[in-house]
Amino acid sequence: MNAAPAVTVQNLVKKYGRLVAANDVSLSIHEGEIFGIIGPNGAGKTTTVECISGLRAPDSGSISVYGLSPQRDRNAIREFVGVQLQESALPPRLRVGEAVRLFASFYSNPLEPDQLLESLGIKQFGNSSFKSLSGGQKQRLSIALALVGNPRLAILDELTTGLDPEARRETWSLIERMRDRGVTVILVTHFMDEAEKLCDRLALINHGTVIALDTPEAIATQAGGSRVRFVPSQPVDEQTLRAIPGVNEIERKERYITVTGTGDLAGFLINALAAIGVRVTDVEARSGNLEDAFIKLTRDDASTVGKGVQR
Amino acid sequence: MSGSRLDESRSRRSGFQFAELLKVQGKLALREPYALLGGLALPAVLLAVFGFIGQANPGNVGSTGLTIIDVWTPTILVLSFIFISVSLPNTVVRDREIGWLRRVSTTPLHPSKLLAAQLIIDLILAAAAVLIVILEGALVFGASLHVQILPFAISLLLSVAELFALGLVLVALVPTQTVASAVAGVVTFGLMFLSGLWVNPAQVGDPLRTIMYYSPSGAATRAVLDSAFNGGPSYAALLTMAVYTVIFGFVAIRYFRWE
Repeated sequence: MNAAPAVTVQNLVKKYGRLVAANDVSLSIHEGEIFGIIGPNGAGKTTTVECISGLRAPDSGSISVYGLSPQRDRNAIREFVGVQLQESALPPRLRVGEAVRLFASFYSNPLEPDQLLESLGIKQFGNSSFKSLSGGQKQRLSIALALVGNPRLAILDELTTGLDPEARRETWSLIERMRDRGVTVILVTHFMDEAEKLCDRLALINHGTVIALDTPEAIATQAGGSRVRFVPSQPVDEQTLRAIPGVNEIERKERYITVTGTGDLAGFLINALAAIGVRVTDVEARSGNLEDAFIKLTRDDASTVGKGVQR
Repeated sequence: MSGSRLDESRSRRSGFQFAELLKVQGKLALREPYALLGGLALPAVLLAVFGFIGQANPGNVGSTGLTIIDVWTPTILVLSFIFISVSLPNTVVRDREIGWLRRVSTTPLHPSKLLAAQLIIDLILAAAAVLIVILEGALVFGASLHVQILPFAISLLLSVAELFALGLVLVALVPTQTVASAVAGVVTFGLMFLSGLWVNPAQVGDPLRTIMYYSPSGAATRAVLDSAFNGGPSYAALLTMAVYTVIFGFVAIRYFRWE
């Protein structure tokens, strides 16, 4: 991995009137990685990437994209940053091939439009107008337009929203191929499975601030914790379970008890219960996933924010 | 040295860009023929209607020595400019509403070039309308359009400039394509009325006559008519159009939004 980051964002603040969209966002993105930005709706994900791409001017803070400023060096940056925008359509009667060739003409060193369409699997739709395309085909065209300029950095905002599972998987493999070609990718998503599968590193943004920044696995284990479901040989009361190190939540359903918590949950649990003569059967342990981590981190963050307001 | 070569390749590239852009915008104009139908087909049909009325009732209009088709040819030219200019919001507001202009603004091409290409296509349409109307009038219906080329051309150019600037004001101020169609309809009827299509301003009293004379379409019609039949347009009509062009241009630039 290169020493100098491809993108650095420092203390980014962006307000729309009284609404604070980005409140002190800082992150850095390495060259050649797929960097995910996740967070609840309205957290400031899109605002952050719009500032990186130069579409919006930050109120304060600094952004560097390959050493350039998206505001001052707008023209230079547009040459090597490809953008796929959330909710952006083409004129309905513009045809796929025309759109890609038109965009190719904007850049000094573009990819070959036909080859690009071929590799995205939409070459056969070259003569179809935008309005006749399916959702998946539109998304692939959108990716084609983001890539045709042969960018060093591709910013993809909510790429797979509205796609069926198969089209999503195809899009994922496309993004992986982009990374393999050396393109740095920023991926804004609210699908945790997508972030978990694709991203090398993730920033979780909530209320305009980065609340976690690490690999998906690290975020999942740190915050997501693990979950153990079992059937005890005799009833166990709540207090006994609570006393076991790492236990956070307890849920009972018929004979099953499900415990969520952190650390080596299953180990502690089985030992502690064995010590009081309770055997456990039917054990099912699952290590933490990103979705749990996401919910836990954003909820914890919300409760601290809530307290802040009360005070 | 390498700098100038770089500039040269950059300017060649931007020439290529713009040619590509014109080609695409031209194709879209053919596929979404609002401007084409309003600007070319409708005037051709209107001219035919007046032409046949003229053939059925040959003779002078008033005591001018002019036939009906003579009198209507200039007005129909202005109408065709009106139709082309009010079609502008239909496409540009739509392109803004769906995020296309914003999408383009993330590339090295500034979206103003997209607008410029659209305006050039519309100018070509306006020129085609002038040719079609004059040729149809002369060849099919024998309209005599003995004009002094320079004042006639100046009147046409100012009419186009003023009405296109008005179209851009609508583009700047109207939020969505749905609103754009509605507003464009109202504006079209207003301009058609003021141009004297239904009521001849010479035959109404003040203040309506003054309003019509100094309205965008009324001034345009008067200038084109006068340069066709009265030896030349009045300075008042030309000045009126120039002032409208400046005001509309200023408002359009001031309030224009790319997203």
